[in-house]
Amino acid sequence: MNKIIILILLLITITGFDTTSDQFMTRQGQVSFFSYTSVENIEAKNNQVLSIIDFAKGEIAVSMLMNAFVFKKSLMHEHFNESYIESDLYPKATFEGKIIDFEPLATGVQTKMVKGNLTIHGITKEVEIKTTIENTNGTYRLIGDFEATVKDFDIKIPPVLAPNIAKTISIQFRFEYQPYEK
Amino acid sequence: MVGLYIYFGVYNNRVDDIKNVSPEVKIDSGQLVSSFILNEENANSVYRNKVVEIDGTVKEINFYNNRNTVLLYGHTKYTSVLCDMQSDQIENVKKLTKGQKVKLKGICKGFLKDAILLNCVLINNDQINE
Repeated sequence: MNKIIILILLLITITGFDTTSDQFMTRQGQVSFFSYTSVENIEAKNNQVLSIIDFAKGEIAVSMLMNAFVFKKSLMHEHFNESYIESDLYPKATFEGKIIDFEPLATGVQTKMVKGNLTIHGITKEVEIKTTIENTNGTYRLIGDFEATVKDFDIKIPPVLAPNIAKTISIQFRFEYQPYEK
Repeated sequence: MVGLYIYFGVYNNRVDDIKNVSPEVKIDSGQLVSSFILNEENANSVYRNKVVEIDGTVKEINFYNNRNTVLLYGHTKYTSVLCDMQSDQIENVKKLTKGQKVKLKGICKGFLKDAILLNCVLINNDQINE
């Protein structure tokens, strides 16, 4: 009798970890960036960032359209897309990485490092980003921020506008994941 | 002439109201997603940064990130056209129901897992209200 119960429990455990339930997704993640200088502050938001997490592998992938960043002023949007990021040539920014020591079953908040490759403007850099991961009733929220240096991604700012753009841009992200429907 | 109008209406003032801008392309939501999946580069050259009018069926309405978002079914039930609605559309967006057929227009930004449109306005509902 005990063996049967163990067998049933085992079956529940195995089927509970099938491949489809290992993947979580958001198609409406939020990424914002800020450039603070004494001349002006620039802020932009993208509310349609795609991200998928594979819990079994501890892997995370992020992809966003650069022309979907919304600015307060249309001229900033134009400069960003046409001169700096060149979104016609490099329409997407991506990140692919691993969450180090990720514990998918832990509830509440955990703080982890994510290590991976960040690609902006066609240039890939290895980065380490700190994130908080909150697990509430099977939905996961990742929140964090990091800094990126404009020069690292070969983004050319004309000398006349150099005082307006910070050398280091601060980037914030917020992703709320749901179980992945294929 | 239409080109000039769109140029001044969208490119010079692209964060503003597109209600009065004529769509450059009209397409069904399923066909839009299919064309991106078939050949993203080609679809980008046709739809990207253009005002597109879409016919589709409401798959989901949500308010994540304090935005009003309407998802239309793509070519399968797992794909979609993700429409970020203009803020003045909130009352009309709230009235939408899953499965409802709608017509809207917005600026196509490209494709990730879904086709993405920003600054969207409903067309049918506008006509009813005005």
